[in-house]
Amino acid sequence: MASASAGSAAGSSLRRSRPRYGEAVIKGLLLAAALVSVATTVGIVASLLPPALRFFGEVGFGEFFGGTEWTPLFKPPSYGVLPLITATLTTTALAISVAVPIGLAAATYLSEYATPRTRKVLKPVLEVLAGIPTVVYGFFALTFFTPLLRDLWPGSGEGPEIFNGLSAGLIMGVMIVPTVASLSEDAMSAVPQSLRQGAYALGSTRRLVSIRVVLPAALSGIVAAIVLAISRAVGETMIVAIAAGLKPEFTLNPLQAMQTMTGYIAAAGEGDLPVASFDYTTIFAVGLLLFVLTFAMNFLSIRLVRKYREVYE
Amino acid sequence: MTTAPARHRTENPSLAGRFRPLEPLFKGMLLASLALAVLFLVVLLSYVVTEGWDRLDPRLWENFPSKLYPERAGAQSAIVGTIYVIALTGAFCVPIGVMTAIYLEEYADGSRWWNRMIELNIQNLAGVPSIVYGILGLGVIARGLDLGRTLLTASLTLSLLVLPVVIIAAREAIRAVPGSIRQASLALGATPWQTIARQVLPAAVPGIATGVILALSRAIGEAAPLLLLGAVTHITFNPSGITDSYTVLPIQIFNWTKQPEAEFHTLASAAIVILLFILLAMNSVAIWVRNRYQKRW
Amino acid sequence: MTTTSSRLSTSQGVPVTGRPGGAGPVQPTVVNDAVEGPFDLVDTVFEVADVSVFYGDYEAVRNVDMKIGKRRITAMIGPSGCGKSTLLRCFNRMNDLIPGTRLGGKITFHGEDLYGDHVDPIEVRRRIGMVFQKPNPFPKSIYDNIAYGPRVNGVKRGLDDLVEEALVGAALWDEVKDKLKQNALALSGGQQQRLCIARTIAVKPEVILMDEPCSALDPIATAKIEDLMQNLTRDYTIVIVTHNMQQAARVSHRTAFFTADVDREGVRHGRLVEYDETSKLFTTPSDERTEAYITGRFG
Repeated sequence: MASASAGSAAGSSLRRSRPRYGEAVIKGLLLAAALVSVATTVGIVASLLPPALRFFGEVGFGEFFGGTEWTPLFKPPSYGVLPLITATLTTTALAISVAVPIGLAAATYLSEYATPRTRKVLKPVLEVLAGIPTVVYGFFALTFFTPLLRDLWPGSGEGPEIFNGLSAGLIMGVMIVPTVASLSEDAMSAVPQSLRQGAYALGSTRRLVSIRVVLPAALSGIVAAIVLAISRAVGETMIVAIAAGLKPEFTLNPLQAMQTMTGYIAAAGEGDLPVASFDYTTIFAVGLLLFVLTFAMNFLSIRLVRKYREVYE
Repeated sequence: MTTAPARHRTENPSLAGRFRPLEPLFKGMLLASLALAVLFLVVLLSYVVTEGWDRLDPRLWENFPSKLYPERAGAQSAIVGTIYVIALTGAFCVPIGVMTAIYLEEYADGSRWWNRMIELNIQNLAGVPSIVYGILGLGVIARGLDLGRTLLTASLTLSLLVLPVVIIAAREAIRAVPGSIRQASLALGATPWQTIARQVLPAAVPGIATGVILALSRAIGEAAPLLLLGAVTHITFNPSGITDSYTVLPIQIFNWTKQPEAEFHTLASAAIVILLFILLAMNSVAIWVRNRYQKRW
Repeated sequence: MTTTSSRLSTSQGVPVTGRPGGAGPVQPTVVNDAVEGPFDLVDTVFEVADVSVFYGDYEAVRNVDMKIGKRRITAMIGPSGCGKSTLLRCFNRMNDLIPGTRLGGKITFHGEDLYGDHVDPIEVRRRIGMVFQKPNPFPKSIYDNIAYGPRVNGVKRGLDDLVEEALVGAALWDEVKDKLKQNALALSGGQQQRLCIARTIAVKPEVILMDEPCSALDPIATAKIEDLMQNLTRDYTIVIVTHNMQQAARVSHRTAFFTADVDREGVRHGRLVEYDETSKLFTTPSDERTEAYITGRFG
């Protein structure tokens, strides 16, 4: 055993017994893989910017952000993005009005009321809701929900058109429920048990603990969930492309057909616009606007989540 | 002794408590919200199944799409295309995603700005709308790399789209392997990579597999980016190579939904049932893997 | 001093059967004296010179000096937070794995600076093995657990013999020889810990570091490990961290007592208080803090 005894062991005994170039190569490869996602972001910017710059070289910001008509393929064309923005706003507002109450209620129930067994049953339901492809939601909105709305529309009024923002927005809201629910539940579960126990010790009921203790303590996480939900609603494409229509209208009336930013990109991208054409650049101009908006919201949401993690973890 | 009616009065000396109407009401509202979500799911599923029932027959997977004859139309090219796209997407995103996860969990020093940037960037990418990936695929992969509107372009684009999901799932699986295993291995004179390859990864495989399947099921249902990448055209043949044109089920469903005729909507429903069935099968496998190989640390 | 030895005997819960030389816990010094010579005559394996260990800005261990002798069992005892485990992990550079760890002073291994630029931590760990507090077998077969170390060190042939030798050396062979393909996690806690020792000696290290190896085990399993340690001193140098004073008294030749000093800002730093032959430290400690600790008045 152990031939190396004091003094006789040369100073080199703890040197590397054989070279290990492999370790460094592997670390390099792994880093390279990690850089693919950085390259993705760079690629997104690189694909958006040049055509968008070409677009803004010809169409001023004033016309783009101030114009109320979006008819890039007409003669003469008009490049006011406001109709796409009002449509996005309308559908997003509808979606949030569905997703936030239902999602928060679900999160509160799962975090504060449900037994482990009910959680085990209910959480997969929300996961299934999140796993259904959006094209299916779109199909459901157009062929089931819109006709239902039109049949049930009270009074003698017009009711929703065949394509309308109302149906698309509401169904999109259901799609986003799992996003709100799961992120909010994470935030609520992160609230330390000691806070709840303090309130219960003072005679609070479960409802008061939920509303006055847990909800405020989890607020930044819940806001993060809502911001992310807005970002998802703004970026959702298939539901609005199918159910909201293809007509860019400067309106906030959800009963009308409307075209969102994503809806325009999908419709224009579907047609094979020549690369050299100016029309082609409109996809990228709207795309850049969409990217900047969602990027800012995601960033805000990540910051908010970090904030509550810092406080409680 | 407290009598039952006294319970509803305010001054109650016993511990029985007074009736608080807001409590059950609040709980009822929370439950009603969840019930609404469950109801929605039930209605949606029964609607597509009943709508598509008449066309859930072999025509659907034996025939090709037809714009003129809904009674003869099928979705074979879309089903085959979906399988191709998913296989290729998995082949691209799994190695890159797992390698990234290993780098971030086992090698990256979190105090370095570039490692923090890589992490933040992945979180941000997870929230980028899928249609923006379509623009990336169009601008950089289809046009920039000149791969055209092919199966390869679609798979590469979807790989980038689900990469953050794979990375996040793989990181969780790797993190779940106890540190004591790593220490034991390193204390025996194993190198970091030996430790990862021989101990950490084998132990993390079930978790990684579960995450990968869930990520791929997201890719299967994805249609928006492919709208920009040429999947729209009406394809009446199966792809035979990675540079072929293609279509996939969600796109085929989209196309049929756009047709005004009710027959095409029936077809779309039938195709949705097939798509949901594939997703259900994949998720069942994921759950099975998770339960079967769960580690008892 | 009589209080010390009586305390040791009364609080002693470990069966004494099978102990080499039949030495009971009441006279641990008998065992130790049998193999212990004057310390200066023993080869020095580690020399710790003015060592401080930092985690970031926090100084966990401050200004430690000690020598560790060859084929001896050196115990490090003290209250929790005294830095004994931290120092132990410096001996095979396991502390390198915690980002922000820094070492001041110098630790030499056979006169060679353990933290020198040319030193490869992986080589260090091959020469200086470690057994952890909680048994941590790999979720693999018993055989693969033992063969893992040799395999990562490039050994391909003769693994069967190596595995048997290591299991015999760790007094586990008879219990597991018929189920080498069985998952190691199916073994009892004590068997798992002996497996971890077997796994360590299969690499043929010179030193085995043990970080509270018995704290998760019952008294019978603990006794077996202690017996095993005595046998291992024929070939190995052992450094053991333990929070169990009786264990240190029973098994070790020399004992280092650490404590946590609180400085003016209220920050705790681990300090070495006293380091001496075990028999002396437990009977005639020269520092009153040591005496307070071993008589149970503190810690």
